[in-house]
Amino acid sequence: MQASKEPKNRMPQNIIAFLHNLFYPLDYFRFLGADRYTSLKIRIILLGAIFSLVPLFIVVTISYFWFQQILKDDFRNQFKWEIGNTKQSIESFLDERLSGLRFLSSAYTYEQLSDQKILADVFSKFKRDFSGLVDIGVIDSNGIQRSYIGPYHLEGRDYANQDWFHEIVVRSSYVSDVFMGYRRMPHFAIAVKKDRPEKGNFWILRATIDEQKLTKYASSINLRENDDAFIVNHAGILQTSSRFHGNVLEKLKEKFALPQEGISVKEVKELNNDQSFHGYAYIKNSPWILVATINSTPYGKIPEIFRSELLVISILSILIGITVIIAMTQIVVNRMKIADQQREEAIAQTEHASKMASIGRLAAGVAHEINNPLAIINEKAGLMKDILEASENLQNNKNKFLVLLTGIFESVKRCRTVTHRLLGFSRRMDLGHDLIDLNDTIREVLEFLEKEILYRNINLKLNLMENLPKVETDKGQVQQVFLNIINNAIDAVEEGGQIEVYSALKEGKFVQISIRDNGIGIPKDKLKHSFEPFYTTKEKGRGTGLGLSISYGIMQRLGGTILVESEVNKGTTFTVEVPIKAESA
Amino acid sequence: MSQTKVLLVDDEVEFVLALAERLQLRNYYVNTANNALEALGLIYKDPPDVIVLDLKIPGMDGIETLKTIKKFDPAIEVIMLTGHGDVRSVEEGMKSGAFEYIMKPIDIGELTSKIDKAHGKRKKE
Repeated sequence: MQASKEPKNRMPQNIIAFLHNLFYPLDYFRFLGADRYTSLKIRIILLGAIFSLVPLFIVVTISYFWFQQILKDDFRNQFKWEIGNTKQSIESFLDERLSGLRFLSSAYTYEQLSDQKILADVFSKFKRDFSGLVDIGVIDSNGIQRSYIGPYHLEGRDYANQDWFHEIVVRSSYVSDVFMGYRRMPHFAIAVKKDRPEKGNFWILRATIDEQKLTKYASSINLRENDDAFIVNHAGILQTSSRFHGNVLEKLKEKFALPQEGISVKEVKELNNDQSFHGYAYIKNSPWILVATINSTPYGKIPEIFRSELLVISILSILIGITVIIAMTQIVVNRMKIADQQREEAIAQTEHASKMASIGRLAAGVAHEINNPLAIINEKAGLMKDILEASENLQNNKNKFLVLLTGIFESVKRCRTVTHRLLGFSRRMDLGHDLIDLNDTIREVLEFLEKEILYRNINLKLNLMENLPKVETDKGQVQQVFLNIINNAIDAVEEGGQIEVYSALKEGKFVQISIRDNGIGIPKDKLKHSFEPFYTTKEKGRGTGLGLSISYGIMQRLGGTILVESEVNKGTTFTVEVPIKAESA
Repeated sequence: MSQTKVLLVDDEVEFVLALAERLQLRNYYVNTANNALEALGLIYKDPPDVIVLDLKIPGMDGIETLKTIKKFDPAIEVIMLTGHGDVRSVEEGMKSGAFEYIMKPIDIGELTSKIDKAHGKRKKE
């Protein structure tokens, strides 16, 4: 890898490292379980729980608030509708009263109504239908009260300088603010103007109505404990009594941001951080505004049923989710555990099988090595027997016999070499601590493979470093490693190929043996598998795929390493590093 | 009766010489070779009736040598010689046209009877 590429790759590498930590957090989760399967289980369960419960939690929360919002909107609409209804009731109440006065003013003439008697008659008839009617009177165009029926004696009073009089001249009908009457009863006045074109002037019919009527309408709004509803005029003077905002005709204490017209509902933050709704409705043809304040927030209380249902469903989902996650994790991790155990058993078995295979190879080699000298002995002895049978004269054949016997001794010597070597080779203790010269070990191993190397015309080069320190290790095991690797090299090269063996000292701590061949090489994708058990690139039946994995295991046990480099069609180099001092493990 | 011409091919010189002498004592005409090239040269120069061929010889693999011989003259019979029970090479040799095989160390009687059988077969053809 080139150094210049690294910064570019850092980001994905960080992500990969993060994911790796997440799934293989070697240290973070170790405390959760000494057994790696237990800690794996806990990790999977935690991850599963997070990934399944977080969305559930989000959905529940969102739906909860969403439902709350729906309730609130619903409440707001209902509130607006209620205010609108009340506004219409008050308006039609006023309309009815004004229409009644207009009817009277059309049905009777000015002269008739100016008559106290007729007016009294009209008043008594009207009072039945005109609930709340307090008094009635006629005023001429000069503002002088011409006639009056009611509890007060207002005949002859001059209204010419009062505001309402000027207003009615322009607008032909009038509804007054609430005012305190002479009997300390709040009421309000309504009036209509009737023109008299023949005389070129007009007259006014005026009636006073009890304020109680308005209060009744205002309180018809569905109110709860902390709510309030009242009517106020444009100047902020209360027209009806309120629960919390003062009595009739008092100035409104709080400031209300009164809107200009129509019906509106506002959400208001109170000082104590409570939310409340304020609703306003302008009442047509009057100086009044209907105001309602709702402080109790019933919409804030999600119905108990919904809440408990949500809770039950959430808890059930969590329980089911966690149960399923735990059960699945249990199954998966247990399967993994069983698979791992089976694999370990299989490896142990094949390690044994490989030992048997190498013993078989050894036996074949030994048989060949011993059979050849035996064959020579056989022929020489046979020849001597032939000569003895053919001739009586032993003296003539004495020299011939000596030559033959020398040959027989030579062959016996060859056999002895083989058996001695074999004894040295097979003498093995479990991880013995022999003090050996690895150069000698290499030479001994090569002696076994000599024939094979010779027959296949392989060019063997030895570049052994002299005066190597002796290493303290298990001779038999190291021999097996070298035998495996050199066997592989022999299999890898063509006839006439080349195998080189180097030995060297590394860092004063290891003796390094490299075995290089110029054979077919191992492709990159297969190289990383080369130490895995059962992995072989050799043709079927030629390799068990175990030699290297066992060699690897041996080197690990001995505290050494085994490395491989390879290039296709150029060759492979195996490097074995054996520690000089055995690890006192 | 004319002598049977035998060619012994094995890389063990001592073995070949001793066996040759024993066969000569039994009235065979024997040539020896220690590797494949030498053997092929002799086959060309002095074609034998029967060849006793070791399966592991330097220069060329025994099986290859066998195939070459059979290509050169299919009538020459070959008896394979094997030092150890390499069953697979023996099977391959039999398939490639060898007449017989014999294990080392050999029994001289067995060898001569196999040579005679091979030669007899050759004569009949």
